[in-house]
Parts: sequence; structure tokens; C-alpha cells
Amino acid sequence: MTDEITILSAGVLVLTLIGLSGGALLKFASRAFQVNGNPLIKSIDELLPQTQCGQCGHPGCKPYAEAIASGEAINRCPPGGQETIDRLAKLLGQDSLPLDTEPDTVLEDLVAVVIEEDCIGCTKCIQACPVDAIVGAAKLMHTVITDQCTGCDLCIDPCPVDCIDMILRPKSADYWMPSQPGVIVSDRSGRIEMLHHG
Amino acid sequence: MAKYQIKLCERQLEGGIYLEEFKYISNAEPCVLLETPAILSFPLNFSGGGPGDSLVQVVDRVSKGTPIIQCVSGVIHVASRSGVVTALQDHPITHPSARDSKCILVETDGTDNQDYLPPLNWPFNTATLRQRAIEAGILGLGGAGFPNFKKWSDGTQILIINAAECEPYLTADDTLMRIDSRSMVRGASILSQTLDIKKVIIGIEDNKPEALDAIKLAIGESQSSCSFEIVLLETKYPSGGERQLIWLALGIEVPSGSRSIENGILVHSPGTLAALSRAVDGEPITDRVVTLTGDLIAHPRNVIAPIGTPLLSLIKAAKTDPEQLDSITIGGPMMGYSISEYSAGITKTTNCILARAPTKQAEGPCIRCGACAAVCPVALQPQQMILALRGDSLGQALHEGLVDCIECAACNVVCPSHIPLAEWFKLGQFKQHEKDLEKKLAIEARERFEKRNQRLARIEADQEAKRTTRRDKGAIALTKARQSREKSI
Repeated sequence: MTDEITILSAGVLVLTLIGLSGGALLKFASRAFQVNGNPLIKSIDELLPQTQCGQCGHPGCKPYAEAIASGEAINRCPPGGQETIDRLAKLLGQDSLPLDTEPDTVLEDLVAVVIEEDCIGCTKCIQACPVDAIVGAAKLMHTVITDQCTGCDLCIDPCPVDCIDMILRPKSADYWMPSQPGVIVSDRSGRIEMLHHG
Repeated sequence: MAKYQIKLCERQLEGGIYLEEFKYISNAEPCVLLETPAILSFPLNFSGGGPGDSLVQVVDRVSKGTPIIQCVSGVIHVASRSGVVTALQDHPITHPSARDSKCILVETDGTDNQDYLPPLNWPFNTATLRQRAIEAGILGLGGAGFPNFKKWSDGTQILIINAAECEPYLTADDTLMRIDSRSMVRGASILSQTLDIKKVIIGIEDNKPEALDAIKLAIGESQSSCSFEIVLLETKYPSGGERQLIWLALGIEVPSGSRSIENGILVHSPGTLAALSRAVDGEPITDRVVTLTGDLIAHPRNVIAPIGTPLLSLIKAAKTDPEQLDSITIGGPMMGYSISEYSAGITKTTNCILARAPTKQAEGPCIRCGACAAVCPVALQPQQMILALRGDSLGQALHEGLVDCIECAACNVVCPSHIPLAEWFKLGQFKQHEKDLEKKLAIEARERFEKRNQRLARIEADQEAKRTTRRDKGAIALTKARQSREKSI
């Protein structure tokens, strides 16, 4: 009888110890690997186009990501287009929606250019640019760093002399894209005979 | 007396195909120097080494070796013959895009004026050699046109000379090695001694016995202290792919997403090394060996032609009527592209002009036979990738390993439905490249946006702090003043 009690209490003791050490480990892990902020926001932000244009009604892509994480509609990003909406829908397990814009919104890849001879150097566009893509100084000409411009057009309205235009994003001088196979018939492979393969 | 070892390759290429050989068509005739054509054209943005700017203006006189184009990568292209710049205008180019692009047109004057660089004196360091490569316009002459001096870094252990030339019609490298193995061996020695590379491996397919003899002779005569190893490869396409050659020669698989140079292996084509040897003596790249071949070419052969020579002059040099050719293939039948504007000038990467009777075969549906997967040298599943790409699902194609496709077109050859798989993969890779670029710009834009917000917050906080201090100070002073005023009353 006493033997059984000893065995039983030993068992209880061992299990208690395992439980306690496991609990301590979990506590430690929760401290050491604590995630700050909502990781979902970061994943959503990764999918947004980072134009920082504010067309969604938020001051930048990250604020919109935060809003989506707390339940806002995913179809408010015109620069991202349908592709971004589809990806967001997949990430969040929602149904995809059509883009929420005016019907005649232009969805082209644009960049801003300063008409340099008209610029009076007021620095208003520099202050408006959310991604620091305009350089210049007071009373001196400003210019847009084309590669860094996201085409958000936030610089257009502040300009007092209307010297900023939006143009199609220029391609690199050596840009080219192969045509879709089958559209243009090529005789490239007048057929080569294979002997055998091993 | 440098030493060399000859080894038979112990390894087998994974996948790959044995193609019918047509090298005999063009390599039976001796190689000849092409007469200087009347007009040479040099595209500003498609000469290799990225987009470039013109260094000359209309009516400038140029000599053989005068710098005319400076590319963003630094590479300088030179005029290949002396003459006068007659125009800077849109002109057809030798490029798969088959469009007109801005070119420098030079009317040659038949004289032999030279404008070479001063010779370099040994010893020199990597920086000096790199500078020389830039000035001499050296690019990967094997086909890619990559500014390959960028690959030269200390810590490289092995130099592999890619003399496989596995395309079934091409004999340009074969010819170069037959007539000028000495320059190739000298270039390899210079490069390996400068970069302190211990071992030079020459990978050559066993269908080039004459070139092999020439290499042996050249190594025997050279004073180099490098150790050379010649690896004889079985003639199987595509043993000349960079990763495939590294695997065959060394048994090392370069991991996906990593470059061979990051693994301490430098791969150059024979032409590049021969050009480097001449560049050290002061001679920039002005000419290259071009193979003229195919069943529609009346007199197939290899010629040494000035860069910028119109395709027309080359076709005529092969005694062929250009009117009879609907289009020609630039490069080999496997990886080349077709072009039909013969006024375009050859570039540094134009290694072959191939004219064959076109045999058009209607494309059929994929029957899922898996023949393409069996021959893929990268062990991909082309039938899966094509399915994804046709469905406009680039992500799925990437998941199947699209970025690792080397576009060798072995799958095209075995496909019983004649599906142009490799073309689809090429298009997919271009699209992916564009996406990557967009992604990179988006990440940079986010960084700048966040930095800007931090900066604005910091400025605002600083100003607020200043205002508070000033307000506090003012308040104290005001209280004091009031108190003293009250007292005086």
C-alpha cells in the first residue's frame, strides 16, 4: 500500500514539474519572441504599391494598410489596380471586389515632370512630395527625380504657376519586351533534328 | 613552357539532347577578312553594356579605335574603321526587338588610321586591367554582352574558358581557337595572374579536334605559370550553358539565385579572353569572327568582320542573294532570333548568320507527354510552366522555377506539338524582371516615405520644444515684471 502511494506521489510530482517547466518556457518564449504591432499590417503594406498618393483617403500606404487590418474595404487603391485587390483578397480570405473609383479614372503609370523654365522656386511641390522625389531650393529651379517619382500627383495642386505635368513613365532607352509567341510567326526554329536523347 | 592536363569529363549532363551536327557546313573553309564596308552602324543603346551616349557628332572624323559610345555601365565602344560620322539617326539594329534605334553611322574612308591605347606594362593590378577592359569595350562575346569586367574580383579561384560552343551550326569560337588560340591562352594567363587565380579550365566539346590541337600548341608555347586543364566534353546540347559547364567541369552545382562568381568561379568565352589579350597591347575590340552558314547560304564560311558591318555585306560576302532570303537567324538555331532588316550592323555579340529554308509547323495542343521535362538541363517541368504562363499566372510559373530556365530551347526541339516553350519562358522572365524592378522601387519609395515622416515629426517636435521653452521663459519674465511694477506702485 505504501509503495503504491510513493509511486503515485512521485508520478504527481514529475508531472507537476513538467507542467511548471513547460509553463516557464512558454512564458519566456512569449517575452523573447514578442511581436510588436499587428503583423497583418506589415503583410498588407507589402502588397500595396507604395505610391503614397492618398487616393484611398489615407495619408499614405501604411495608414491604409492599418485601416484594412481593422476592417476597411480592400478596393480603394487605384494605382494598385485589380491585381492588388486580388492579392489582398487572397491574403485576407475575402472575396475580391471591383476597384472603387470614378468610371473614367486613368490607370496609367505616370510620373511628374517640372517644366523647368516656368518654375519659380517656391518649394511648395517639394513639401508636398510624400517620397522626397523632388529636389531644389528656394528661388532656384526644382526638378523631379523620375525614377523615384511614384506618380501620386500630390505636387500638381500646390504649384502656383502650374508648371508640373504628368507624363507616361519613360522607359529605359534599351527597354524591350519579347512579343507573345504565336502572335508573330517566326521561322526561328526551322526544325532541328534530334538524333536521340539520353 | 606552360603545362596542361587533358581529362575526359566524368560527369553526364542532366537532361540535354544530342542534336544533328551542322558545323561541317561552315568550318571546312578557311576564315577570311571581310573587306571594309562603305557604311558602318553602331547603335547607341543596343551595342551591349546598357544604354549609351554618343561621344561624337556628325561630320567628326574617327579612326579605327576612336571612342564613339559611352554606356551607363562605363563600357566604351570604339569605331571599328576610320571614316566620317555621317549621321546620328534611327536605323535598323541587330536585336530581337527588330526595331529601329538611334545609331551612329560612319562612312568609311578606306584608310587604316588607328587610334589605339598605349600598351599596358606588366605588372598591373585588377583596377588597371578593369579600366583597360572598359576602354577597350570588352563585353561577354559569347552572346550575352554582359560587361564582364564587373565579374572580376579578388577571391576568384577558378577561371573556366567556355569553349563548348554547343549550338549545332556555330563555328565562330571554333574558328577563333583554330587561328588565334595564342591570344586566348595569353588573355587567360594575364587575367588569372592579375586576379591570382590558381587554375584555368578549358571546357571544349569533343567535336572540335582542330581547335583542341591549336589550344595544346598555344599552351605549350606560352610562358604562363598557370596550370591549365582541358576538359573534353561529350557533344550534347547545352553543355555550353554556364551552369551546365561548371557542373561538367567541376561537379559543382551553382545554387539557384546565386551567380557563379559568388562561388569563386569565373567563366569567359574564348573571344573575350583573346580580346583582353589584344586590349592589353592597346587594341580595342574592332572586329569579330562571324559564322555564315545554313542551307540557303551559297558559300558558307567564317569571316572576320568589323563591328558595325551591315548584315547585307556579310550575306553578299557569302555569295548569296539577300533578295532570296525572307529572314535570317542571328545566333544559333536554338537560341538565336530572326531578323529581316539587312541594313542593320553587327554588334559585338553577333556570332552567326544562319539562313535556312523555313519549315513552318502548326502548333498543337500540349498532350502532357513530359518529353520536355526529360530533356530540361535544369530539371524543370516545362509543361507545367507553360500551362501557368498561358493562364497568365506568373506566380505559379515562378513557383515551378521559371527564373532558373536558361532558355536553351531543348524543350522546343522535343515537343511533338511544336509548342514554342522557350519563347514563352523568355517572355515570362522579362515580365518577372519588370515586376522585380517595380517591387524594388516600391520598397525604396516606402523607405523614403517613412524617413520623411520621421523627419517631419522630428522637426515638429524640435520646434514645439523651442516654443515651450520660449513661452516658459517669457512667462517667468512677465511675472517678474508685473511683480516689480506692482511693488513700485
